[in-house]
Amino acid sequence: MVDQAVIREKAKEIVSREDVKHLVGWRKGTFGYRVSPHWVETPEDAEKLIFSPLCSPNLTTYLTLEEKLPLPKGEEPDRRKTALLVKGCDSRAAVQLLTEQGIEKEQVLILGVPCRGVIDQRKLEEKFPEALGGVEAEWDGDKIRLRFPEGEKEIAREELLAGNCLNCRYPNPVWAEEILGDEVEPWSDGKAPGVEELEKASPDDRWAFWEKEFSRCLRCYSCRNVCPMCYCEDCILDRLNPTWVYRSVNYSENTAFHIARAFHLVGRCVGCGECERVCPAGIPLGKLNQKMVEEVRDKYGFEAGTDPESLPFQASYDPQDQEDFIL
Amino acid sequence: MFMSEKPRVGVYVCHCGINIAATVDVEAVVEFASRLPGVVVAKNYTYMCSDPGQQLVQEDIRKENLNRIVVASCSPRMHEMTFRRTLQDAGLNPYYLEMANIREHVSWVHEDQEEATKKAKSLVGASVSKARMLEPLEEKEVEAERSALVIGGGIAGIQSALDIADAGYQVYLVEKTPSVGGRMSQLDKTFPTLDCSACILTPKMVDVANHPQIELMTYSEVEEVGGFVGNFEVKVRQKARYVDIDKCNGCGDCADNCRVKNRIPNEYDEGVGKRSAIYMPFPQAVPAKMTIDPDHCLYLTRGKCGKEPKCQEVCGPGAIDFEQQDQVVELKVGAIVVATGFDTFEPSRKPEYGYQDSPNVITGLEMERLVSASGPTGGEILIGEGETARKPKDVAFIQCVGSRDQSVGNEYCSRVCCMYTAKQAHLIKEKIPDADVRVYYMDVRAFGKGFEEFYDRVRREGVRYIRGNPSEIFSKGDKQVVKVEDTLTATPMEDEVDLVVLATGLEPRADARGVIDLLRLSQSSDKFFLEAHPKLYPVDTSTDGVFLAGCAQGPKDIPDTVAQAKGAAASAMIPLSLGKVKVEAQTAEVNQDTCRGCGFCVEVCPYSAIELTTVNRFGHAVNVASVNEALCKGCGSCSAACLSNSVQPRSFRDSQIMPQIAALGVRK
Amino acid sequence: MSEPFEPNIVAFLCNWCSYAGADLAGTSRVKYSSNIKIIRVMCSGRVNPLFVMNALQQGADGVLISGCHPGDCHYLEGNMYARRRFGLIKELMEFVGVDPRRIHMSWVSASEGGKWKDVVEKVVEDVREAGPFEQFKRDKINW
Repeated sequence: MVDQAVIREKAKEIVSREDVKHLVGWRKGTFGYRVSPHWVETPEDAEKLIFSPLCSPNLTTYLTLEEKLPLPKGEEPDRRKTALLVKGCDSRAAVQLLTEQGIEKEQVLILGVPCRGVIDQRKLEEKFPEALGGVEAEWDGDKIRLRFPEGEKEIAREELLAGNCLNCRYPNPVWAEEILGDEVEPWSDGKAPGVEELEKASPDDRWAFWEKEFSRCLRCYSCRNVCPMCYCEDCILDRLNPTWVYRSVNYSENTAFHIARAFHLVGRCVGCGECERVCPAGIPLGKLNQKMVEEVRDKYGFEAGTDPESLPFQASYDPQDQEDFIL
Repeated sequence: MFMSEKPRVGVYVCHCGINIAATVDVEAVVEFASRLPGVVVAKNYTYMCSDPGQQLVQEDIRKENLNRIVVASCSPRMHEMTFRRTLQDAGLNPYYLEMANIREHVSWVHEDQEEATKKAKSLVGASVSKARMLEPLEEKEVEAERSALVIGGGIAGIQSALDIADAGYQVYLVEKTPSVGGRMSQLDKTFPTLDCSACILTPKMVDVANHPQIELMTYSEVEEVGGFVGNFEVKVRQKARYVDIDKCNGCGDCADNCRVKNRIPNEYDEGVGKRSAIYMPFPQAVPAKMTIDPDHCLYLTRGKCGKEPKCQEVCGPGAIDFEQQDQVVELKVGAIVVATGFDTFEPSRKPEYGYQDSPNVITGLEMERLVSASGPTGGEILIGEGETARKPKDVAFIQCVGSRDQSVGNEYCSRVCCMYTAKQAHLIKEKIPDADVRVYYMDVRAFGKGFEEFYDRVRREGVRYIRGNPSEIFSKGDKQVVKVEDTLTATPMEDEVDLVVLATGLEPRADARGVIDLLRLSQSSDKFFLEAHPKLYPVDTSTDGVFLAGCAQGPKDIPDTVAQAKGAAASAMIPLSLGKVKVEAQTAEVNQDTCRGCGFCVEVCPYSAIELTTVNRFGHAVNVASVNEALCKGCGSCSAACLSNSVQPRSFRDSQIMPQIAALGVRK
Repeated sequence: MSEPFEPNIVAFLCNWCSYAGADLAGTSRVKYSSNIKIIRVMCSGRVNPLFVMNALQQGADGVLISGCHPGDCHYLEGNMYARRRFGLIKELMEFVGVDPRRIHMSWVSASEGGKWKDVVEKVVEDVREAGPFEQFKRDKINW
């Protein structure tokens, strides 16, 4: 159980501290059921904070997105902390950034919120087109209660939750200064049925699936922008010298883009599902990244963002790493 | 990486006589190259590495203002250095060179001329693409330590150490056992001159101990080697002897009175002789000091030796010191010579020869100890013990035991066994004139100076050579039966003899893996240490500043060992005499503007050559990676780990490799 | 009559072991298929796994990476990183639908000229069976 009032009170307290610049949380968005990130700078701002199954955004991405503007001479950088509200997956993103030195421990103040899953926006619009007019959501046991202006509806969680939430192994934040709510019982072993289905298909069927998906890619780069792990100042997929991927939008370059990004996320992706959520073309990027998450977990025994002291997966090796594929 | 000038590429395709030209249509490759973007000159020549070949390139650099050179010829591992010098002498930065391997990788391995030519064109195209993206590099220099480390105190290590020291440089000679001398000290007489081994070896052993430039560290092992050529950082563990060598005068009273006197198999005698727990490996040991064996000494293993350890009781100078500890010494040296020697083949791996079943089946080295005046039998060749000891009448030598034998994994020939067998056969005839000595051989290899003459002499003395490889050797009463076929007369026989000597071959040392890990050595297919090139660099390794000498690199006899040791010493002295070494130019570089300070490269670098430093980016303190060029070896592991491609090894940047991929992908 | 398909294979060989092994195959005049084209790198650890993707995109039908045996890497552990990376890129590419027969990795030491030939023949055979790579090939004008 997470009480919004508790969150608001805590936020007010945190933001009043001298050493905290602002707190990032969620508030009701401006369009339909959408939820926006909310920067709380004063205790009054904290009143707008919410927490509900609609709170999909992974706020950790704002830690690295925050632009460091050039400082006038003589001015010292603002070294106050950024406080952050995180769900289970989001907290792992923060830990992963820590192991990669993308953030410093002293720069952040993590407030964890145990999460039972968030609603998949496409499933919501499909089942309840009226949601576009505005809806609020809350948990009712194992069901989700949707409060429309016209009335309430209830639906089983499996029908509405995002795919990555259904196979989530870390609903409770793994690293936080304080956890604001009761811990949740994990419900999944982490295997995604969508991934398994693709693994069992023939190579030709698999390619047919992905070719169709990648053909729809617009190269809008929303997936990259929203991902907490993608924060290189100058992404190699944008570079011209050398040119890894051309800017033309065709399925050859699109495939290369997605393979490259998926590979860069190996051992770093925490499965927050944001990439799939924001894709305007509805490409199931979650399947691609989740496959590698499972691969790394099963064959190499590593999960991103679970241990702040761990070495980055891509910069380490185990003398016992498998080599049955080597001639 | 800013391209300040347009690349003007010169392509030179070598015929290499007919090595390339017989399979690859050189003219067609030249024609293809001339049409590639950036190529100003495309020529061919019979031998590019020759003087006229090199001059051709140099003239064109001057006349045509070339600033990139592609040589399509043999492997760059062969002639990259040669052609770099060609460029340098013509005033062009030597790193503007790229080579296409169209010999080892094309003309020598493909038969179809059309396919070979097509592939050669493709490889040249790739090289031109890369050449266009090359950048000028500078070879920096660092100071070199004017000292050397020699690992191993056998004849190879001794010789190398003496040569380097005689030239005036400091040498640290580290030997694992309590005395220098190695295998040669175990030999009686050496072939073919029948020189007494100890007589020619001991003066050198004494020289090494007394030489003002040599620090002799016996009973010591090298534990760690770091750094690079000219600046190796070495840790040596000097094991505790439990004897104060400044007080010990080598009198041996302790060994005579030891409570486990003569109960421990003596390594020097290959286990045939015995020693005490406190011992000197052999009478002419250098240094002539006693050592306590910590695995067998009663006091050290059980904490108690009678009322008081006997050795301590009888030692006049009071040299016994059970409180002694291992000491770790840190050294800085400029070059390292590896002379760690060999082990012999363990004959129980061929159980059909009955080595385990009878004391009268012995190895060549054990025979050497029997025949030695300093051995367990005082030089008498005896079988049986005590009362039943007698001289053997019939002796059989079996050649190629553990060599030239796929079934035990040693395909190679051990080179010395034919000759040491002939020598031992001769010595037996000398000591037991009416003995009937036969040698069962596959081939007799008497290749060296005086070898064939010695082999003739030994046969004239009555030693019988029978061509056949025994299938089995078994005991029958107190005789050994050698079951063998004389292949020249096609006669199978069962030869009953008193003593069988197995001419066991040479193998790499059992602890070679430790040395390999220490120094990053490679192994050849026969598992001995790999030289940098079998013909042209027989004493170098792939690690600059580390050299090989003696049987560690492959089986060989004493003259060849000494020659190689002298060669290794000469090579080791090159950086020492210059006093400086060139540092790798193809090191990694970080684009600090795009680096995001994640530290992946720092983790990955095997040489800890990268670290995170703080830079000022518009007023903010930002962590970025920075490469220490003295430590960087240019492997590029950092680059593959970098997600923003910020760290790149020079000459192997993504922008230099990817054009190669693009060119090779083109199908013609 | 159309010509039989000849695979185009790009290989990345480490300078100290595999490239030397391939050189040894040359000096020993061992004969093997000409479909394999070698790019020299100093260490198998240098090979960015995205080169595999890049090579396939640019016209290769198959990719081979070859390095030193574990424990023998001239640069200590580059081949260990390469091993991990290639296991992963192979899985990722296979999941996207690329035939696993197109991507290979091998350990070839400086003294294994014979093994190099065997590796080449196996890879060429595998890629020949997999057929020409068309899946996300970049269409380019031949230069």
